[in-house]
Parts: sequence; structure tokens; C-alpha cells
Amino acid sequence: MELTLGQVYALFGAALAVFLPGIGSAQGVGIVGESAAGVITEDPSKFGQTLILQALPGTQGIYGLLTGFIIMQKIGLLGGNLVSLSPYQGLLLLGASLPIAFVGLLSAVSQGRAAAAGVSIIAKRPEELAKGIMYAAMVETYAVLALLASILMIFGIEL
Amino acid sequence: MAIVDMRKMHLLGLKKEQDKILSRLQEIGAVEIIDIAGLEEDESKVQESTFHQKMIKELSLLDSKISKLMFGIEFLEPFVKKEINPIIYGKPKVSKKDLDMLLSREEHILSILDTISELDQQLSQLKGEESKIKNRIEQLTPWKDMDIPLQQLGPTEKSVFMPVIISKKGFDDFKIKLEENQLLAVLETVGEDQDDYYCLLIFYKDQMKQIEDISKDFSISVQEFAGLKGTPKQIIEEDNRRISQIEEERQAIRQKAQTFSEQRFNFQILYDYWSLEKDKKSCALKMNTTEKTFLLSAWVPEPDVQKVEQKMLEVTESIYIEFNLPEEDDEVPVVVSNPKLVQPFELITELYSLPDPKGIDPNIFMAPFYFVFFGMMLSDAGYGILISIVAAIALRKFKFAGMGKKLVQLMCICGISTVAWGAIFGGWFGDILGLKPLWINPLDDPMSVLILSFVFGVIQLYFGIMLKAYMNIRDGHVADAVMDQGLWLVFLSGLLMLAFPQTQSIAKYLSIIGAIGLILTQGRAQKNIINKLLSGILSLYDITGYLSDLLSYSRLLALGLATGVIATVINTMVKLLGVNVIGWIFAIIIFIGGHIFNLAVSGLGAYVHSSRLQYIEFFGKFYESGGRPFSPMEIRTRYVDIKD
Repeated sequence: MELTLGQVYALFGAALAVFLPGIGSAQGVGIVGESAAGVITEDPSKFGQTLILQALPGTQGIYGLLTGFIIMQKIGLLGGNLVSLSPYQGLLLLGASLPIAFVGLLSAVSQGRAAAAGVSIIAKRPEELAKGIMYAAMVETYAVLALLASILMIFGIEL
Repeated sequence: MAIVDMRKMHLLGLKKEQDKILSRLQEIGAVEIIDIAGLEEDESKVQESTFHQKMIKELSLLDSKISKLMFGIEFLEPFVKKEINPIIYGKPKVSKKDLDMLLSREEHILSILDTISELDQQLSQLKGEESKIKNRIEQLTPWKDMDIPLQQLGPTEKSVFMPVIISKKGFDDFKIKLEENQLLAVLETVGEDQDDYYCLLIFYKDQMKQIEDISKDFSISVQEFAGLKGTPKQIIEEDNRRISQIEEERQAIRQKAQTFSEQRFNFQILYDYWSLEKDKKSCALKMNTTEKTFLLSAWVPEPDVQKVEQKMLEVTESIYIEFNLPEEDDEVPVVVSNPKLVQPFELITELYSLPDPKGIDPNIFMAPFYFVFFGMMLSDAGYGILISIVAAIALRKFKFAGMGKKLVQLMCICGISTVAWGAIFGGWFGDILGLKPLWINPLDDPMSVLILSFVFGVIQLYFGIMLKAYMNIRDGHVADAVMDQGLWLVFLSGLLMLAFPQTQSIAKYLSIIGAIGLILTQGRAQKNIINKLLSGILSLYDITGYLSDLLSYSRLLALGLATGVIATVINTMVKLLGVNVIGWIFAIIIFIGGHIFNLAVSGLGAYVHSSRLQYIEFFGKFYESGGRPFSPMEIRTRYVDIKD
């Protein structure tokens, strides 16, 4: 079977959707982990609470993977029957991956910072954990919206 | 079903019966004492009063006793074989009789505490000595091959024996320098480590000054062995002997402590008992007292008023109680009361902030939305069954209390909604069972589900606006309800109906009426007419707020999709692997691990985002928060339950 330029574009889109938010999430989760470790040295029993905050910036990576997966499924990469794509169709898929790719990358880092600040709430007033979670979750809204946009675009493209 | 009414209780009693009365109030557990000690007299006078000073003194005595007991409990912790987990089995029960017996032996038990604190001191002394010895061994180890007793080092009649540490880099240069200056000196290396040589420098006493000058140019430090006798080897051996001796002594102390381990339970009982006494005593500080009587004020929830009155009259006859309605500027504490099914959802509001005493309890309005939204975001019947069953088992087996209990109950209830939505969307551990959705699969038809999400959004936003209108009407601001909430509802409904061709003709008029109404009324707080109009027009800009609120509900679709797609990814991997026996083993591991991971991540997401929709979108429309939780005097123990 012959490869087409469209398939290359589409795969590039899937790759972008996976690796950019992945980088962002890794960084975001890392930031939270660093400040959480500081709290744990004082009080190891707060591990569970800090872990919840640390998990929050991790979702962008998952959203990215999910978008990449939908693109792969759409072009038949997973089933083994690669659809023959025109360059325009490939570019459409590439474009559809951009919202989650970039919003995922940047929002994960910002969310990591907000969650890391939330860790200091746990240090001083552990009963107010929910408010710390909320601050971080406010950031995630935009990743959710971007994910939604990307998915709707991918579903909307006809192959 | 709402915020419970509070009554202010005034209780006048005799001082000699004070303790009895306070104990009973503590048992009832429905009375929050108000601090009125400083209200009627001036503060300084209160603090000078002998009663007050006596109480403070007693309190500080109690404090020191409690902290001593705490120390005993902590010290003995490693010696108790297996602690009974109170979450699983509940706290051990102690009868009043046992407690009285224990209190009669209290002297004896407290003397055991003294012995234990002595043991603790001995242990820390041993620890100090051990670390000192370990340091010395570390210092001496590089010198262990030097078989000269340390007391013989230093200056003799004509020569000097000086132990020095020379860095490896400068060693050769230093040697050359010594030779160049034709000094009568010998440099004997006795040991080395990574960076340094440990040497004995022997030189002629008269050349001390020259040697010192040369030493300055190199990084050479002179080792001091003040007060040590014997060769390094001997000292190290001696020290090692002492260390094992210390270990033995420590073992002996531990064994002795072990014999006291049974006392730990007694300490715990006493700790709880005295903590309760302390709570009681500190309440006494909040009262107004005369020589023979006391007056206390307290908050009592209205449904408990009769019970409290009756029980107090059982205690003594010589008492006067009255219950009043709260006054305008009172800071009334808040308790909410809801049907059993709604109670778990109180957790969500508690984590945000309790309602203002004059506001409304949002729980019963919020609960159905939370229930639906959580399920829609997790939207996998398999996961729903799993969390419901796990939560139900946990509730039966473990004895949760407070917020923990509410959280587990909440999971149990929301699991049901998750099963329903999973069946609607066709998600049973993703697509592994191949079951058809009851209605739509969001992967095939995301637009329908998106519209459904917005419909839920419109319902909740309208409901929020109407609740605000209700609050306005209840407070007598009917005009505000009509102009602020009513006109917005008209305007928003008009805009919404524009989207449908059948209603477009009415919609136009509705939205124009709404908009004009808003322009005319929203500036009514302003004084001059131009400002009135300007603020009216500006208020239309709030439409962006409503729009973003509505769009925010798209997360219902997005998170539902995310759960579904991740589950599909896991299942695809499983199907790819399941080709032979080894493949199947890995496939099963990935299936179980993957779905647990997805459940954890998506579950957290569903919890967080359905909370957010309540906090920002729903509560933002009407909720007045800022209530202070009601914290009654009650029997709150840490280790044991004291029972009659």
C-alpha cells in the first residue's frame, strides 16, 4: 500500500496532540510534586491529599493521548487498514489537533503552578483542601474546552 | 430541609451545681456556649476575679496532665503489639464504673508516667553518648594504623610529633618544599581516604616556625586528639565495646518499657476523660458569675429545645432556663437538616462554605444536579457498579464518621447515576461487552449530547436565578425580584427561543421587551438620568457571563467522552495482546490496571468538575455563604467511648 502525504499530516497531528500536552502535564505534575515533597517532610500523613492535587495537572496529557488516539482510529492506523487521505484531509486533521496540543501544553503548566500553591493550603489548613482543588480546576476548564473543540472537529471531518 | 432555626438559651444556676449542669450539657451535645464573660463587666475586672483565676489555674494543671498522658501514649506506641484500628472496629468501650476504678488508682498510674519519662531521659542520654562515640570512631578510623599512643604525640624534648591531614593534590609539592628548605623533617603516611593523606610529621623543635610557614601555603590541617589515651586502634576497640554495651542497656530499658505497655490503654482512657473535663472547664470561663450563681448563654437548635429543657430540669430544680429568638446582630451558628438521601451532598456545600444564617440551604436544590452531572461525566456502567459496591461494602464494614462517611455515601449514590448514564451511552468498561447504548453513543453523535449538556445547563441556571428571585420575595424585595431576575429570565428566554424557527416570531419581542426592561431598570441605584441609562445599557453586557456559564456545561460531554475513549484505548490494547497464553496474561493485567486507573482519574475529574458546576455556575446565581458551623459542647473523645 502506498503512503500518502495526507496520512503523514494526520499522523503528525496525532503526534502533536499526544506529545505537547504530555510535556505540559509532566512539567505541571513535577511542579506540584516538588512542593508536595516539602510538605511531606513536615507531615507524612498528608500524602493522600497532596497526591490529589498532583494528579490534577496530569489530565491534559490524558486528553492529548485521547485526541491522538481518536485521530489514529479515524485514519485506520489501529485497525491496520490505513485510509487513503488527500493532503487537504490530512491538514484538516492536523488543524483539529492544534487546540488540545497547545492549550494542553500551556494550561497543564499553569494548572501545576496553581496546584502547587494549593499544596501550601494543605500544609497550613488541610481542611480547606477542596478550595485548593477548585483553584487548580478553574485552569483545567480551558483544557476541557480545547479537548471538546478538537474532538468535535475530528468527528466533523469527513474522510 | 433547610437551615435549622436557633434559639438563644439563658440558664441561671447555682455555682455549686455548675459542674453537674455542664456535664449534662456535654452529654446532650446540642448546646453551644456563647462567651459572655466580658460583656457585662469590663474585661480586666473579669480577669481579676478569684473565680476566673482559679479556673485558669485548674485549666493549666489539666493541660500539663493531658500533655503528660499524651507523652506516655506516644512513648509506648512502639511497644503495643497491634493497635485496633478505630475506623474498622470502632473505639473500645469503657464503662463509668471502670473509669471510676481507674480514677481511684490515678496516683499510681501517674507515677508510672514519671517512671516512663525517666526511661525516656535515659534513652536520650544513651543516644547522645552513642552519637558522640560514633563521631570519635569516624575521626580516628583513618589513623588506626598509627601504633603510637595518642598522649605521646606533640612536642618532646627536641622534636615534635605532629599528626596532620594533607590534601592529595598538594602532597608531593609539600614534600619537595620540605626537602628544598633542607629541614630536618620526616613525613610518615599512616592512612588515606579519597581526598587526603593522614600523616605524622616529625621535625626538629627549633624549626617549628619554618615548618609552620611552609604549611600555610598548603592546605594542611593539624589533627587534635585532646584528652585521648592509647593508640587509635585501642580507642576504637574500646569505643566499639561501649557501643554494644549501650545497645544492651537500651534493650534493657526497652524491656522495662515493654512491661508498661498495658498501661497505654489506661493512659488513653485518662487522656479522654481529662480532655472532656478540660472542655467543660473552659466553658466555665465563658460564663458570667456572681459569688453563688452563674449565668450562661448558649445556642440551641430549635428542635432540641424541649429535650434540653427537660433534661436540665432532671438534673436540678434550682435552675432557671429561658429560650429567646436570636436578635438582629447575633452571630448565629448554622446547622442544616436534610432528608437522608440528600445528607451526603451536604459535603459538597460544606467544602465550599456553609450558608449564611439568613440565606437558604442549597443542598436539596443542588443534590439532583450533582447526582446527574457526576454520572454523566463518569458515564460508564461498569465503573458505576464498581464504586457503588465498594462504597456499600466499606459503609457496612468500617465505622466512618463525619465527612468521611458523607464522602463514601456520596460515592455510593453517585455510582447509581453512573450506571444509568453508562447504560444510556453504552459504556460498560468501555466497549468490551459490545452492548448497544439505550439512547445515544456520544462517540457517534457528540452534537446531540452537547445539546443535552446545554439543556441541563439552561435548567440549572434558570433554577438558580429563580431561587434568587425567591430569596428576594421572601425578604420582601418583590420589585427587585421582578426587575433583576424576572427581566433577565424574559431576556434570556427570548434569546434562547431565537434558536428555534417555530418560536422566532415571539422570541424577537420577548428579547426586545427584556432588553428594554433591563436598560430601564438596572440603573435604578444611580441618581442622575444619564447614569441610570448608561448603567442600564452596560448591564446588558452581563449576557457574556450567562453565555460563558452555559458553555461551561460542555464539560459534561467532554469528560464523558474522555472516560469512554480512554476505556476504549485500554480495550484496544487488550484485544491486540490477547493472541496467545502469555498475551492473555498481560491482557488481563492491562485490563484490570487500566480500568482502575481510568476510574481513578475520571472519577476525580467527575467529582471536581461537577463540584465546580455547582460552585461557580449554580451557587454564583443565588447562594449566600459565610455561615459559621455549629459546634456544640459534646462528648468528643479520641481513643475510647465512655459509656454509662
